[in-house]
Amino acid sequence: MTLNVRERADTIGTLRHISVFAMETLARWVPTTPELEAKIVLGRHIWEFAQHADGLGRRTHELRAAMHYSPAPTDPYVAILEEWRALTATADRIGTLYDAIIPDLDARYAAYLAATDVFLDEPSVRIVERNRADLPRMIEESRALRKERPELAASPAAAAMARRLAACTEYVSFRAPVGSTAERLA
Amino acid sequence: MSAPLHPRLDPACFGEPAARDERFTVVDIWHDCVNLPDGHPEKAQEFFHRQMNEEAAVLENAARSLWEFPDADWDLRMWLARQCADEARHTENYRRLFVSRGGRLGQYPVLGFQYRILGKVHTLIGRLAVQNRTFEADGLDAVTHAITEAREAGDDELAAVYDAQQADEIVHIRFANEWIKREAARNPRALIAMGQALALAARGFQQTFDREGSRVSKYGVAEDLRTQAGFSPEEIQDFVVITEHRRAIARQDAG
Repeated sequence: MTLNVRERADTIGTLRHISVFAMETLARWVPTTPELEAKIVLGRHIWEFAQHADGLGRRTHELRAAMHYSPAPTDPYVAILEEWRALTATADRIGTLYDAIIPDLDARYAAYLAATDVFLDEPSVRIVERNRADLPRMIEESRALRKERPELAASPAAAAMARRLAACTEYVSFRAPVGSTAERLA
Repeated sequence: MSAPLHPRLDPACFGEPAARDERFTVVDIWHDCVNLPDGHPEKAQEFFHRQMNEEAAVLENAARSLWEFPDADWDLRMWLARQCADEARHTENYRRLFVSRGGRLGQYPVLGFQYRILGKVHTLIGRLAVQNRTFEADGLDAVTHAITEAREAGDDELAAVYDAQQADEIVHIRFANEWIKREAARNPRALIAMGQALALAARGFQQTFDREGSRVSKYGVAEDLRTQAGFSPEEIQDFVVITEHRRAIARQDAG
């Protein structure tokens, strides 16, 4: 069974929340990351996440939710995001972003495409496809950075975070169905 | 713990510094930079290195505003995010130019004033007025002069970098001008915060550069570009009067 319109809005909105969170995290890190080359790559990728969030946020309005509707993910997923943002070592920031967060986001985009009706939900599909197309380039740019600054290549935190993200399969806090008791009480 | 500050500077005008790696020596006042005379063989290289750091500072300021003002209009946040990417690209441009022409990162001291001054401005309208509408707009005048110099010297690579950068800077100044005008119409009291920010920044700038550094004011106002960047004819005329006054003082000091 595919996602209904309400569930699509919740999922697209949650993906927007994650993109905004990533944009803000990189913005927070830029002044506090000492290595100039890392600062440059993070600074460029702020704009990538902003564009992803913008496209997703415009789509939520077309799915009968508010413009830029951005519900928070489930608590376990939020906890991982908060821990990610708190990292201070540049190698961990770079490693977790490009080896854990972005590949995981790509997997969640892929899961959305598998779960929706690609014909009835074509506008969402196009937005998600465009966002996904940026991700390999961002990872490739991080590889060039780590080639130039090899000391940034080893991140003890990255593999552990990738595992935790993979285990966190439920990340959307779906609203109760329309007309349900839960919705009437909300 | 607060970072040390040059004793000549007023801590009320300077916040914490942005992070720089161990290759860089960050100084607080212009006098402690390597200020080479015109015609010196390292003049251009020192400029690329200094400008690389200044572009990084603008990136850091835009990023900090994006992070610290999560409730700002989404459209404005998008522009700040775009500015981050542009300034990161400008930083990289100068880094590549500098390194490809034989430079070593950290070869010269760099200033930290832009990020530190903006750290004492706590309103978004103040940040945009100081960073985009003042520092960036002054840079617009300078880069116009630099494009001409690079072309005259036959340095097409450099002229192309300046030309692309100038187009980006116009965008940054324009979005700030447009947002400030809307905000002032919506909430006229915001203009008080803007005035306070500009006064604080002027004090910090003056302390950083002192009379000696401020004397390097040799560019006229790029009137057409400022029009494209959203300044009104009256504002541009004010800039012309102020700039000509500064240049007259500089000529007088130079004897």
